[in-house]
Amino acid sequence: MEEKKRRKQIFAPRMQKKLVVLFAIVLLAFAGLSARLVFIVTENENEYQKQVLSQQAYNSVTIPFKRGDILDANGTVLATSERVYNLIVDAKVMTNNGKADKGKNEVTRQDLERYIAPTMQALDEHFDLDIDKIREHVIANASKSSWYVVQKRMSYEEVKPFKDAQAENSNIKGVWFEEEYKRIYPNGSLGCDFLGFTSRDSNGIYGLEEYYNQQLNGINGREYGYLDADLTLERTLKPAVDGYNIHSTVDMNIQRIVEKHLLAFNEKQKNTVITANGAENVGCVIMEVDSGRVLAMAGYPCFNPNDTWNTDALIGMRMVEMVTNSAGYQELHKTNTYIDQNVIDQMDDAQLELNLQNLWKNFCITGTYEPGSTIKPFTVAAALEMGAVTKHSTFECNGSLEIGGYTIKCHNRDDGVLGLETAVAKSCNVAMMKIAQIVGAEDFCKYQQNFNFGLKTNIDLAGEARTVNLIYTADDMGPTDLATNSFGQNFNVSMVQMITGFCSLINGGYYYEPHMVDKITNASGVVIENREPRVLKQTISESTSELIRQYCNAVVEYGTGKTARPAGYRIGGKTGTAETIDEKTNKRHPDEYVVSFMGYAPADNPEIAIYVVVDRPNAPKQDDAKFATYLVRDILAEVLPYMNIYPTEADAVQTATPTPAPEPTQTPAPVL
Amino acid sequence: MPKERVNRHKNREQSKYFFDYSMLLIVLFLLGFGLLMIYSASSYTSFAEHQDAAFYLKKQARNILIGIPVMALMAMIPYEKYAKFAFAGYIVSFLCIPLVKTPLGEESHGATRWVRIPGLGMNVQPAELAKMFMILFLAVVVCKMGKSIRTLKGFLVMLAIPLPIVLEVYFLTNNLSSAIIIMGISVFMVFVASPDYKKFILIALTIIALAVLLVVLVKAKPELLGFRGDRIKAWLDPESYSGDKSYQTLQGLYAIGSGGVWGKGLGQSMQKMSFLPEAQNDMIFSVICEELGLFGGICIILLFVMLLWRMMMTANNAPDLFGAMLVVGVMGHIAIQAILNIAVVTASIPNTGITLPFISYGGSSIVFLMAEIGAVMSVARKAQRKNIT
Repeated sequence: MEEKKRRKQIFAPRMQKKLVVLFAIVLLAFAGLSARLVFIVTENENEYQKQVLSQQAYNSVTIPFKRGDILDANGTVLATSERVYNLIVDAKVMTNNGKADKGKNEVTRQDLERYIAPTMQALDEHFDLDIDKIREHVIANASKSSWYVVQKRMSYEEVKPFKDAQAENSNIKGVWFEEEYKRIYPNGSLGCDFLGFTSRDSNGIYGLEEYYNQQLNGINGREYGYLDADLTLERTLKPAVDGYNIHSTVDMNIQRIVEKHLLAFNEKQKNTVITANGAENVGCVIMEVDSGRVLAMAGYPCFNPNDTWNTDALIGMRMVEMVTNSAGYQELHKTNTYIDQNVIDQMDDAQLELNLQNLWKNFCITGTYEPGSTIKPFTVAAALEMGAVTKHSTFECNGSLEIGGYTIKCHNRDDGVLGLETAVAKSCNVAMMKIAQIVGAEDFCKYQQNFNFGLKTNIDLAGEARTVNLIYTADDMGPTDLATNSFGQNFNVSMVQMITGFCSLINGGYYYEPHMVDKITNASGVVIENREPRVLKQTISESTSELIRQYCNAVVEYGTGKTARPAGYRIGGKTGTAETIDEKTNKRHPDEYVVSFMGYAPADNPEIAIYVVVDRPNAPKQDDAKFATYLVRDILAEVLPYMNIYPTEADAVQTATPTPAPEPTQTPAPVL
Repeated sequence: MPKERVNRHKNREQSKYFFDYSMLLIVLFLLGFGLLMIYSASSYTSFAEHQDAAFYLKKQARNILIGIPVMALMAMIPYEKYAKFAFAGYIVSFLCIPLVKTPLGEESHGATRWVRIPGLGMNVQPAELAKMFMILFLAVVVCKMGKSIRTLKGFLVMLAIPLPIVLEVYFLTNNLSSAIIIMGISVFMVFVASPDYKKFILIALTIIALAVLLVVLVKAKPELLGFRGDRIKAWLDPESYSGDKSYQTLQGLYAIGSGGVWGKGLGQSMQKMSFLPEAQNDMIFSVICEELGLFGGICIILLFVMLLWRMMMTANNAPDLFGAMLVVGVMGHIAIQAILNIAVVTASIPNTGITLPFISYGGSSIVFLMAEIGAVMSVARKAQRKNIT
């Protein structure tokens, strides 16, 4: 053996023995590891199984629902939701740090060249972005950040070119688009007051959006994994349920006419005396007399629901502030400042928000004011209905009446003896006070309640004013209060209360619940709910109603409301000029008035009622009902032909007749 | 002893060419099983990243197809001829490792460990090459040394030979695990070759003492060791470090624990769905345990034990020292790598990137391992049949 060693060495037995020893050690190590495996499984099986399952649970994706549309009576879209895309950058994916997560945060040369460079280039090509900032973010957070919102709410058209580029080049990665919905109001500010708007999280604020929030919103869908009986992971998609569509009674064409004239009024009247809007508030409601359906509801100033925080809309409004009153409650007070750009610049966020909230309010249902003479038909109707007066009763007016130690003047000097018709037509305060005295406080209040003053009309809009504390009860109504109430001072109403009550006065006494929506359908068009007109009560009898129509027709025929009549039509109505109260002194303001006109057309068979209120017109002499009557005239001159209500009177303006096409040279005669 | 004589006679008669079918069977089974598990573990993430669920499966199948002829070739060449290439191989691996720092170096997972072979479009990990050539070179050196290996000087020379390569692997490619494996193979071979026990017990004790010292140090001054210090801390207390550091370890443990005794069934792993990083690579053993349970995991361990046992038998029956030392080296390589991988996966040692031989995804590793198996087969062919059957 020893000699042979040079040529051929053998694997000596002692080495073999050592190899066996080594194999034993290896065997021992494997045995130890097997024991360790057994230990892990027996000690932690249940706990780790739960852990694994809980990790899987994170793997669910929310699918957003689409909020329902709001449509007008003709099916025109007033509010809709559009799918928009948020651009998300996932740094982990872009730098391949998602899977090899070993606690490093480095970006390799390969990542830079192969993925980051083409991705950034594509982003730069298709979007207007600060590319350097994004690149820095990706490199700095390569293993940390997987959800970095770069740009929000882009339309499909904006996103598509990039998506195409991404589909072609697989090296563009770590960029994806999160979907959500954005509320769009295609008509801009048109109808803003009754529509309201939505917050980013799909919550309605004001108007129909708030009132019908629950119906408009759907249910989010979800894509999620679950474990079946064999503990295998199944994935399921539960689709989103889209919200219901709301079909409004409002006709956008009428609404457009109304808003056009409110805007024209503002343009004409603004900056006349003070640098401000044409009036503090202007409101107009048009309602179907025999159903309570609202055809138009508009106010000025208005805002754009697509851009609610735009402060430009505040300019010209009177600034408001929050004041703690003596009882310790917060109260909204008007200041004497009118908002211009300087004022906006000086406002802090809280003030800005307060004033914007004031702007977003719907004056037609939220604003309360003393109605003035437009209340007179109600006073007369109540007296007639309970038999306190008859259609033959007469009242003498000497220009004033002394009640409870106060001399209350009539704006007419000396009307002499007036019948009910002339009392209404000439808007005589003395006659009304005498009628109210006969009626008495208790019955007067009963009838106020009957006409729904002090109560909510339950119109389907969010934010209707609560007026129960703004009227008298029989117990606390003194003789002076009764007298002033009879001609519409000293108690507050809202526009929607007035026009709803007035409809019942002229339609035979049927008090319809005012409503803005007559149908709710689901996303596929199936009708979920029909809202038929609802008669809540009979306020007066048919015969009284006929008398009221006669008196109101007289107002326009020869009384205070002559200027409200659109050429060619006979309408009825009642003017109102009401004093206001100075919030600071709590006394009657010497020269600030709320003027209004409440009317209907056609005169003999009313189909629609219209109510226009001009709150403190920007004019040297505010107590002039023509601010309101002209508006009514202009609006009706367009709305009545649109509604196929034909002119009946001789002075009809020849507008385009359906048969012969007008010759090009022929210009239509000017309206008025 | 008439019986022995009969046996010897039979051997001579049977054939000159003994072929170790049971070892081949085990290796092929491990490779096939590895393919199956790579497909299962990677399909989810692979589809997400490459739009192809079989991306890793195809690449690994290609690697195995390259490896089979390499293995066959190695098995056919008489192993005595390898010795000529031993020194050249040592120099080649010494020169190849620095290539990662040249433009040929390829980067992945934040470390430059690959070298591109120009024209072939393939990447090779020089550290894997170095493992193979180190076994060959040490086997030759053991034979050259003869009895002088028993002296202290011989012992030190044996340990000094792998040191340059180990340092290169550690410092140039920042690959601690490969450095440990190369050093481990060397110690494994020297242990068998040298008659001594005392020195090795001393080495083992020193390593244990150093490990304890390291743990104490990390606890006291965590920032001292950089990311490796963090890994040690994560190993000591994985639950409270569930951020980046111990994420992989913890997810691996969840996989093993949730699999239970019999597993969730092939293809039913949940952890592979992007929760477990490197599921088809370093952490494949935890996916095996999740899908096939404790049972599957221990079966794989038993397969490795059988493979190593076959190698031990081959070595003990090798016709000469060189052949035996070659087999011992390969045996050491597979044993160390399998033990370390399973130890990492079960959080028995701190996390370091070691693949499971034959099963984990990885091209260089598979091809060189199959070449090594070919070498073992070549030795087995010449083995004295007396004890091997």
